[in-house]
Amino acid sequence: MDDLQFRRRIYADPNTRDEDMLDAIKSDPSKQSFAQELEDLDSKLFRALNVEVPSDLSDKLILRQTLASHQQQKRKSRVHLSIAASVAFAMGLTFNFMQFSSTYSTLGDYAIAHVAHEEDYFSNTSTENVSLASLNDKMATFNGSFTSRVGKLLFANFCRFDGMKSLHLVYQGETSTVTVFVVPNNEDLEFSANFTGNKLIGKSQHFTHSNIIVVGDKNEPLQKWQNAIDKSVNWSI
Amino acid sequence: MSAQVSYNMATKQVRYEALVKALHSDLFRYAYWLCHDKHVAEDLVQETFLRAWRALDSLKDEKAAKSWLITILRRENARRFERKRFEMSEYEEAAITDTQSTSNEQEIENYWLREKIAQMPEEYREPLVLQIIGGFSGEEIAKQLDLNKNTVMTRLFRARNQLKEALENTTKVRGQYNG
Repeated sequence: MDDLQFRRRIYADPNTRDEDMLDAIKSDPSKQSFAQELEDLDSKLFRALNVEVPSDLSDKLILRQTLASHQQQKRKSRVHLSIAASVAFAMGLTFNFMQFSSTYSTLGDYAIAHVAHEEDYFSNTSTENVSLASLNDKMATFNGSFTSRVGKLLFANFCRFDGMKSLHLVYQGETSTVTVFVVPNNEDLEFSANFTGNKLIGKSQHFTHSNIIVVGDKNEPLQKWQNAIDKSVNWSI
Repeated sequence: MSAQVSYNMATKQVRYEALVKALHSDLFRYAYWLCHDKHVAEDLVQETFLRAWRALDSLKDEKAAKSWLITILRRENARRFERKRFEMSEYEEAAITDTQSTSNEQEIENYWLREKIAQMPEEYREPLVLQIIGGFSGEEIAKQLDLNKNTVMTRLFRARNQLKEALENTTKVRGQYNG
């Protein structure tokens, strides 16, 4: 190793532990004294660079962090609270929405579902027979009446039609029952004049304040039923 | 789960305090030689440790802690200049005299050296501080300063060379006064 190379390296790092450097120092007394000189310089530099550190700095650092993280936690707990509140609010909204909104979007869908659900309660061979007077009694709620019987009425009662009070009539059909709903107009459910389900079909007719929906088996002549009802029904307003 | 969280918090606290105790002096000195101002250095160190606390989970290797903190501090120092450049008046406060631990003779020498170190160009001073105070190797300094290793070694060479010459000159001058 030449002298220049040695000087450059010892200047750059007096504490070098590289083998070749250590060998060079050991083998040459002038290099050794030069290395010693630089080591002395470094210890002087070390002393000079080691400026006094404020004695309370570490306490200050810890204190500041404690305060900062305390504040952060306070912020965090506020954030948590507001998140919890938002979640509760959203859940409330969702619950309301699910509770009070229509699962079915059209009159027809709902009517078919309703009839299918209550299929087992009514039999076409039932001996029940509701009188015209008692039917009209109920029809009065909807400001309407029937002038004549349109068929053998097996059942007539109020029921909930997607949350609305409506009249549920079950007539004896040719092979199975025919269901008639008298439903107040509703903006939530879309009016559908004709609709079809798996087994059932239906027709709706729109009047000023109400809809009359006829649902029956695909074999039933619903058009005939609808015409008969149309002819027989009277609205007082 | 909340016990786990507070356990983690407690561990984090312990880690943090250990870091502060072990490294705040080196960091302060490094900061001091970056900005030549005790108060600014203290602010820098505080900012650095605060950031370190927030990011403590990202420090996986405790051995890398010092260079990690120095990286944060350098960034913090750079940001200081982004925000507003306080023009430092000609460097006056060269020395923070330390009368307790050093003899009078040494004190004078320290004073001279500090003056010289402070006057040295930043690009020479920084690697030197990292080497002597930080105890980093040439490679580590190169990585830290984003330079190549040969450049760093050259700068270290020049820095020591300058200081050595300056010191020899002042000794001569002082010698003349004494004689």
